[in-house]
Amino acid sequence: DATVGSPTDCQECPCPAAASCAIVPRTKEVVCTNCPTGTTGKRCELCDDGFFGDPLGTTGPARACRACKCSDNIDPNAVGNCDRETGECLKCIYNTDGFFCDRCKEGFYGGALAASPADKCKACSCSPYGTVDRQTTCMQVTGQCQCLPHVIDRDCSACEPGFYNLRSSQGCERCNCNPIGSTN
Amino acid sequence: PSPEVSPLAPGTNLLFAQSGKIEHIPLDGNNMRKEETKTLLHLPDRVVIAVAFDCEEKMVYWSDITQPSISRASMQGGQPTAIITTDIQSPEGIAIDHMSRNMYWTDSILNRIEVATLAGRHRRVLFDSDLTNPRAIVADPANGRLYWTDWNRDSPKIEMSNMDGTDRTILVREDLQLPNGLTFDPYSRQLCWADAGAHKVECIDQYTHLRRKVLDEIQYPFAIISYGRNLYYTDWRREAVVAVDRVTAKEVDEFLPQKRSRTYGITTSYPHCPQGENYCTRG
Repeated sequence: DATVGSPTDCQECPCPAAASCAIVPRTKEVVCTNCPTGTTGKRCELCDDGFFGDPLGTTGPARACRACKCSDNIDPNAVGNCDRETGECLKCIYNTDGFFCDRCKEGFYGGALAASPADKCKACSCSPYGTVDRQTTCMQVTGQCQCLPHVIDRDCSACEPGFYNLRSSQGCERCNCNPIGSTN
Repeated sequence: PSPEVSPLAPGTNLLFAQSGKIEHIPLDGNNMRKEETKTLLHLPDRVVIAVAFDCEEKMVYWSDITQPSISRASMQGGQPTAIITTDIQSPEGIAIDHMSRNMYWTDSILNRIEVATLAGRHRRVLFDSDLTNPRAIVADPANGRLYWTDWNRDSPKIEMSNMDGTDRTILVREDLQLPNGLTFDPYSRQLCWADAGAHKVECIDQYTHLRRKVLDEIQYPFAIISYGRNLYYTDWRREAVVAVDRVTAKEVDEFLPQKRSRTYGITTSYPHCPQGENYCTRG
């Protein structure tokens, strides 16, 4: 406040170099008004939308604000793609999930880091009849569903040779054919 | 045919969001009084996306995605009040129905459009299907209509419905990519949108559905508002507010805030509500 007339009226902005500041009239609080690129907050201590870091080291070592790191599995047209402090990815696409959108979300398998979206994460599509407890999840990479006894294939949709009745939902049963009267 | 132009009330301002602030640019007719720009609200730890204005109570409404919520504050000053704080994840568009005293919002994580009173009561989900990336939403209270955009990269669209959620229909789906911004001008009956993928501003007549390109080769529009003969849009790449004359289809001015960062929601505040009544205001 320069209107009082004492030598301490004007104080240096508590902001990083080159940032200006202002006093909020109602609360008398000092806020930085022109934080460096990518940073924001009362003291330029936060990262802008689309960036993450801890520019002033409020919770540990200082980390400059950097663009969200989400394995190319976010959409640049989205807002709030990552947590502005930790960088945790919040809007993974292409059926990916995880802190860095680096794995497939539940119910999907494949390579979250594949170059082309078509090669990324595919639905498990486990057969409800052949899968233990009708689970909808499968192994991350191979996509193998957890099959009931004598059920085979990635999606547990077929019986082992010599077995039948997938639809029992209890696993496949032995055919019990008489070897003398059967062709194979 | 030149679109009709609304009367330009003195005391009108542009409000736009940037980096946890809502900025205020006075309008003098069709000109931005850029040198008189000031900060209306400091919300330093928030990321404000949508900004909306209620002409009846002169309140500004905004959405925040850091502590996902919708809040409001009086234009004359006063404490911000959070209205919606639960069961909300990525609110990106707010529409105010000043006549019925309701607000509508989009949520791009829950993929819903919801409605509540301006105080946040009687909340109801209007739509929760066929929404992938719902973003901008605007109301036409005099005709009881609601319009919104969905920038789903596989099938972007602009949809409309009645304000009670009935008669949902797709209004635009051809030649659309990332319709981020949407605005409705009741005087000219033009619904205009800004597309960050097609890099265009286009308008459609509410009744005839005649579509007209206003501007192309623009950079990265986020939000847009119609006022008088101008359209004003925020641009992520230019980090600016751009004024476009929609009659001559030319860019006429730009405002570059001192702070270099993306600009988000934009709206106008004005001293008097447009005349009109609807179903809910008739006694």
